[in-house]
Amino acid sequence: MKCPICRKEVKLTDPFMPFCSERCKLIDLGNWASEKYVISTPIRQGETEEDDSESGTES
Amino acid sequence: MSTAGAYDSSSIKVLEGLEAVRKRPAMYIGSTGEAGLHHLVYEVVDNSVDEALAGYCTEINVIIHIDDSLTVIDNGRGIPVDIKEEFGVSAAEVVMTKLHAGGKFDSNTYKVSGGLHGVGVSCVNALSETFQLEIWRDGYTYEQEYSRGVPKGPLTQTGKAGRKRGTKITFKPDTTIMEASKFNFDTLSQRLRELAFLNKGLKITLTDEREEPVKSHEFFYSGGIAEFIKHLNRGKTVLHEKPIYFEGERELPNGGILTMEIALQYNDSYSETVFSFANNINTVDGGSHLSGFRSALTRTINYCGQQAGLFKDVKENLTGDDVREGLTAVVSVKLPQPQFEGQTKGKLNSDIGGFVMQFVNDRLSEYFDKNPAVMKRIVTKAIEAARAREAARKARDLTRRKGALDSGGLPGKLADCQEKDPERCELFLVEGESAGGTAKSGRDRRYQAILPLKGKILNVEKARYDKMLSHEEIRSMITAIGTGIGKDDFDISKLRYHKIIVMTDADVDGSHIRTLLLTFFFRHMQELITRGHVFVAQPPLYRIKKGRSEKYIKDDKEFTREILRRATENLKVEANAAPGMEAIKLEGGELRSFLMALDEMDQLSRKVERRLRDSRVVEVISNPALLIDSKAEFAEEANLKPVFDELKRLGFNPEMRRDEEHSVWSVVYRDSTNAERFIGIELAAQPEYKRLRTLAKQTAKHNVAPFAVVKDSSRQVQATWRELLSYVKSEGMRDCQVQRYKGLGEMNADQLWETTMNAEKRTLLRVRLEDLVECEEIFSTLMGEDVESRRKFIEDNALDVRNLDV
Repeated sequence: MKCPICRKEVKLTDPFMPFCSERCKLIDLGNWASEKYVISTPIRQGETEEDDSESGTES
Repeated sequence: MSTAGAYDSSSIKVLEGLEAVRKRPAMYIGSTGEAGLHHLVYEVVDNSVDEALAGYCTEINVIIHIDDSLTVIDNGRGIPVDIKEEFGVSAAEVVMTKLHAGGKFDSNTYKVSGGLHGVGVSCVNALSETFQLEIWRDGYTYEQEYSRGVPKGPLTQTGKAGRKRGTKITFKPDTTIMEASKFNFDTLSQRLRELAFLNKGLKITLTDEREEPVKSHEFFYSGGIAEFIKHLNRGKTVLHEKPIYFEGERELPNGGILTMEIALQYNDSYSETVFSFANNINTVDGGSHLSGFRSALTRTINYCGQQAGLFKDVKENLTGDDVREGLTAVVSVKLPQPQFEGQTKGKLNSDIGGFVMQFVNDRLSEYFDKNPAVMKRIVTKAIEAARAREAARKARDLTRRKGALDSGGLPGKLADCQEKDPERCELFLVEGESAGGTAKSGRDRRYQAILPLKGKILNVEKARYDKMLSHEEIRSMITAIGTGIGKDDFDISKLRYHKIIVMTDADVDGSHIRTLLLTFFFRHMQELITRGHVFVAQPPLYRIKKGRSEKYIKDDKEFTREILRRATENLKVEANAAPGMEAIKLEGGELRSFLMALDEMDQLSRKVERRLRDSRVVEVISNPALLIDSKAEFAEEANLKPVFDELKRLGFNPEMRRDEEHSVWSVVYRDSTNAERFIGIELAAQPEYKRLRTLAKQTAKHNVAPFAVVKDSSRQVQATWRELLSYVKSEGMRDCQVQRYKGLGEMNADQLWETTMNAEKRTLLRVRLEDLVECEEIFSTLMGEDVESRRKFIEDNALDVRNLDV
């Protein structure tokens, strides 16, 4: 797994997992606090796919 | 002391001085332990280093003997041997017996003196059981011996030295005073190495004759403190290969010369390693030279970064702390009569800060001008440090700033429960205000609390859903949970609810909010997960109502199973039902498995169709009799012939094509957009293709059209398996009202309670750490720019969490 901030390789057993260090963990918390994390979905593409599978299962 | 008198009287005075050293040794050399013992060596070596500073000595040899006596030899000018009339003895003897004599008894001898501890070599003499002095000067050898500071005789010329010059002192510390008597090789190594770094070009050797074989180190650094920096940074990843190094001189107002030497190099750590020296003395508490260096560093990095336009998204200037992250530096100054402060003399007080600052400003800017790439790396690192500082401030805001809290310090939006024992309490994190409202009326307020979260939507005009958790929402959540957050504040014992249940819609938006929440817990409240406090609620996706009975169904697969179960309760199916044929009769469990397999085939066909772009072609390759699964089968042209013929019959203009690279065949045709499509090994490797083929073979025995559906006395014939499936499903839904929930908000309070919140009936999924390791990757994918992998995630976004009944 990679540290979400600096992309260094992190092992499951590392103390700050998934972060490489306390520093990166803190920066990440700051990112949450300043609303930097957004999940985006393209509306059209996403919705057509979704509609397809819905009609498929309902018929 | 101006007692110009007889040899005896003056020597008695001197002896009185040394007697004081023997009475209170700690006052002069710090202690009689390990530190004091080594201090004796440094006093002797400093005399030799002073000769080096004056430019007369290039080599110092230190030898530890087997009886723990120690010799220091230098190739300096040799201590003066002429008789000092003032004292009536040789100058050398004055140095050896008079406190504070050292190099200072003649101010012209040394412009700059280490004068490390200011007590001089006489202390060493006073505290030594035996002390031998040998001087090579002006072609002659002179010798003198002492015991506990008392000369055994005057300094005597004992032979010829030729061109050899220098001083040799051998002493054995007096064990009746010194508690420690064993010299430590590593301790001496460290200081001698430091001296060699600080005095470039000076060679210092250390030999330990107590070891077998004799152990020896040589310290010689032509690069001076620049090499010191390399030594300090060994094993670390540095930002620039070569240390930055400058040296220079300035004339002081009092006429003396200030020599400045600065070396620095950045590594990728976050800590600062800075050593400062004044006249070779390690000024552990810094002082004017260090503060001059620091202000110049901060100023120059800010100035050069601004000039280069690197501060576009940085609001304020970089602070001293920012520019010192990862810094390794050595500041060494040499000046006449340095002023120190404090008991340990660890701080330089001389007023030279301005000179050092000016010097570093000039030379560092010049260096940055010539090495813009190095400058950029250093500035970038400092900007990162500034960001981390800013991040830390914002992170603190999450818990420390007062916001919309009620009188009990809890978020206003939280509908808390009555129970106070955390073990019995549950917190539902509910997506959306309206669902939150429903959950509030539906809950058991005795032990269930509700916190509605909105999940801010941004950027709608850009034709995207951008989902995020607002600062305020994260704050409310942390406050409601009670544990606090961050290194110093997280305290699991303050957890207010032992079950934290994420309850979101069963759609893409819901899964995004869920992913955000779980990612946040994983990254910053991991203990909640490892202790098993985090759950995902399972709201139903369907409601099937028939008469007065209602049934809630959690997903599509279960829905199909339920519909088919209802249908097959009172109907039977005959396959191969054409008149005159021997029909295959199916009913009960066997019929249900057959229909479930057909339903799965139906869904897989759609997925395969996305690749083949024509349902008729999917029908062709679904024929279980064909040999089109393994690579070996594609190697035989004859195996693909039936596919070719069938496509031709359907009006495609197919082509058999040889793939020489893999020695296989494929059938190529053109879809409705005239694009080439392949039936070959690449298609055969797709999981949906493989599964479809497997199911086709499994169902082959029963999948023989036409089919007859027999119910009571009626008999309906269906021409294809798809028609059969669709007919049976509609039979299953006969007289039923089916509702598919698009969101939690579509349920009323009672329904939500019944299906999702009631601990007696609900199913919760406990979130495990392993699941979130995966979630972490998903989150990175969703955050990323790779649209294709994002789409793929949305297609199979079900977070794979273990089923757990609570």
